[in-house]
Amino acid sequence: MKHLTRRRFLQVAGVGAGVAVLAACAPASTSGPAVVEEPTPVPTPAPEVSSMDAGMMRPPGNPKRGGKLTTAFGVTMNSFDAHQGGGVHVLGHMYNSLVRNNLVNGLRTVVPDLAESVTASEDGRTYTFALREGVTFHDGTPFSSADVLATFNRIMDPPAGIISPLKAEYSFVEEITAPDAGTVEFHLSAPRAYFLNVLAATNAIIYSEKSLQENDFDLRDVIAPGTGAFRLVDHQPAERWLMERNPDYWDAELPYIDEIELLHVPAWSDRGTAVLTGQADMSWNVSFETWQEGSNRDDIQNNLLPNFGAYWLFMNNAQGPLADPRVRKAIHLGLSKQNLKAAFGTQEVINITRWVPQGDPYATPPADLANMPGYREDKSEDLETARALLAEAGYGDGMQELEILAASGPQAELLAPAVQDMLKRDLNIPTRIRIIERASLGSEQQQGTYELMVHTRGHGVSDISPRGNLWWRTGGSQNFGGYTNPDFDSLLTQIDDETNFDTRKGQIDEAQNLLDENPPEYLIGYTYHLPMWNQKVKGIELHDRIFAEWGRMETVWIDA
Amino acid sequence: MRQYLFQRLLIAIPTIIGVTILIFLAMRVIPGDPLQTIYSEATGVYILSEEELAEVRASLGLDRPLYQQYLDWMGQVFRGEMGYSFWTKDPISQMILRRGPISAQIALFAVILSWLIGVPVGLISAYWRNSFVDQAARAGITIFLAVPSFWLGLMIILFTVLVLTWRPPLTIIQFWEDPGANFAIVALPSITLGLGLGAGTARMARSAALEALYDDYVRTARAKGLGDSLVIWRHVFKNAMLPVVTTTGLALGGLLGGTVSVEKAFAVPGLGSLMVQGMQERDWMMIQNLVLVYGLIYVFVNLLVDLSYGLLDPRIRYS
Repeated sequence: MKHLTRRRFLQVAGVGAGVAVLAACAPASTSGPAVVEEPTPVPTPAPEVSSMDAGMMRPPGNPKRGGKLTTAFGVTMNSFDAHQGGGVHVLGHMYNSLVRNNLVNGLRTVVPDLAESVTASEDGRTYTFALREGVTFHDGTPFSSADVLATFNRIMDPPAGIISPLKAEYSFVEEITAPDAGTVEFHLSAPRAYFLNVLAATNAIIYSEKSLQENDFDLRDVIAPGTGAFRLVDHQPAERWLMERNPDYWDAELPYIDEIELLHVPAWSDRGTAVLTGQADMSWNVSFETWQEGSNRDDIQNNLLPNFGAYWLFMNNAQGPLADPRVRKAIHLGLSKQNLKAAFGTQEVINITRWVPQGDPYATPPADLANMPGYREDKSEDLETARALLAEAGYGDGMQELEILAASGPQAELLAPAVQDMLKRDLNIPTRIRIIERASLGSEQQQGTYELMVHTRGHGVSDISPRGNLWWRTGGSQNFGGYTNPDFDSLLTQIDDETNFDTRKGQIDEAQNLLDENPPEYLIGYTYHLPMWNQKVKGIELHDRIFAEWGRMETVWIDA
Repeated sequence: MRQYLFQRLLIAIPTIIGVTILIFLAMRVIPGDPLQTIYSEATGVYILSEEELAEVRASLGLDRPLYQQYLDWMGQVFRGEMGYSFWTKDPISQMILRRGPISAQIALFAVILSWLIGVPVGLISAYWRNSFVDQAARAGITIFLAVPSFWLGLMIILFTVLVLTWRPPLTIIQFWEDPGANFAIVALPSITLGLGLGAGTARMARSAALEALYDDYVRTARAKGLGDSLVIWRHVFKNAMLPVVTTTGLALGGLLGGTVSVEKAFAVPGLGSLMVQGMQERDWMMIQNLVLVYGLIYVFVNLLVDLSYGLLDPRIRYS
């Protein structure tokens, strides 16, 4: 077994850890500018850390102590169990994970959290975590390896009545053992390059064995004590959360602030005005018009962060013309992502990417995308190819009318008509739009009762492996469109097991080529999140982040 | 009077029951499963198996026959519990009690403001009918009647945010906790609603006053040598108030139930916002109970308005 050095640790596992929490969707703003500015290209993550002391995160500058941070965001949830759909963007402040994305270097690396160090075996199949000593939960219970075991065993082998949506993400973990109270070993069936990214996800928090046992392993109705930097003071449903500094936090330096108040503000524009008027110090995501207003203010800062939620045009591969890969590729080539981005510009800022989003180290750089078929702005050549493909598939003179299913609201009013118009005008594919309630789209999708569907879909971990197996592998549990591509399946198996970055990069590029050639669905685009904060908020380096992650902020300080 | 009150209350019972049945069935007929909202991309729980969905559905009591669900709900209402939110699992009665005062304050302040503006404007307009003052007042009334309250609210909030760099607090602060902060929450929504309502009140007061000004009893009062102020105050004002009370009462019933669009515009955490949130989250229990509360308020306020006629006009007798 070899020791995992900091550099090796960062290079192998932490580079551009892609974890974002898709928190409560607030209703979209109903007004805004018609034209969206081109977003700043996202920098490729770099495996360097500015200041880190054995995993301790230390923000730059001279942090001041005291004060309260107030945030404006959606903070309702129907479960307090982070492993059963609980809102970790709120709960996360009270807990720790084994490892986490580094707050002080823009989330570019994964750093130890409750683990003090990590070693990986030569074959990459065993990870050993040495746990921190002297850590206690908020109720005084000492933290040990038993808590880690209880936490992950519940995720991977949930007791009756427990819903474990995270289970699929740990499918390659064969066993977890605890040689002693201060050590935990994860035994994998095969090496996984993104294993630490999964553990660094904001939902991979550690519960105490005691809390789990006391509540029959179901914490949906219980705010269980954590080990985190903040302790719960008050929670008013659909109104606010108030947390105070944990004086016994294992990192004696943190947190700097005394209190954190999370206001429930569902509408994006209200979040923005809250920051603009000082009612809140920051928001993770505001409306575009208030974000623009913040750009004009000296006391306000903002950023445009790639997010791992996306808009899709799902295609039912199992029936009709869409069963033909040539038709799907024609749509992939024929629809203009730039037009769709403009059409939806009053609602959200679309981030044009390939199948791997910006913010992930394997993403295709925006400059390369600009010349790529299906992604480039100039559609003349793509449309020619698309029409030829349709003719080859027997649809040169058109086809039967297809149905586009869309949720009422901006998706049906903006995206679906834009798709409809381009399909008819450029590819001679007639469509009709059927509008249904958003809450019904999921069941239609699962039942396969659709031809085309405009809908959202997101993922927590940015790496292509987990979602590739769920969404696009033949028979994948969320492959509702019935996509089958043996070449992709075979390549995905190699990607799953590969740990060398460069080799894997080549494989993932090839996998994206396969998906471009034989698309399972049409990716309209991922979205950007628009955080905005007052200048006095320091220490979480929001201006330097490479992707959106809503959650912990124990390094934050107020420059009052 | 007592018999009349009893009869009205008896009539109210089937009305309320009808409302509960309608909203209960409507929530189950309209598309959209609360489970699809609770377990969705937004909560990080993307897909549940059929077994898991069935389990969750049972835990929310949605697997039982409709009549049983309805009777359970009614049982909860009679016990004053109102059940629990599907989404937050918090007692709905507590959420209504916490937010109700804010919505009630907005409604009451809006009505008071509408009277403070509408009644004098209406009386002045009637007294100097067809004068420049009357024309200006009528133009103002038309404008404020035409402008939707949500638009006016948006304009006001835009002005305060962009020019004054201020917006009302976003949390619930009750009057007894901090009167100043509480007033900051309810002031702008009250003004927004009060202006529109005041325009309606002014129009009603003007037409009622114009009618009263030419009535025999006013002519008699003038013939007796009473001064203008006494005639207006004692005879015209009191008689012109009857239709104003009626329209205000109906408006108050609606306002007390939550002023959805204005609460939304100002992000006020009142009953209206709770209703919007309940609809977005497909929180059937929340919506059912709020509609029930709205229905009760409406019936109660209507009853009060009816009873107030007797006080304003001694010619009216209840039987």
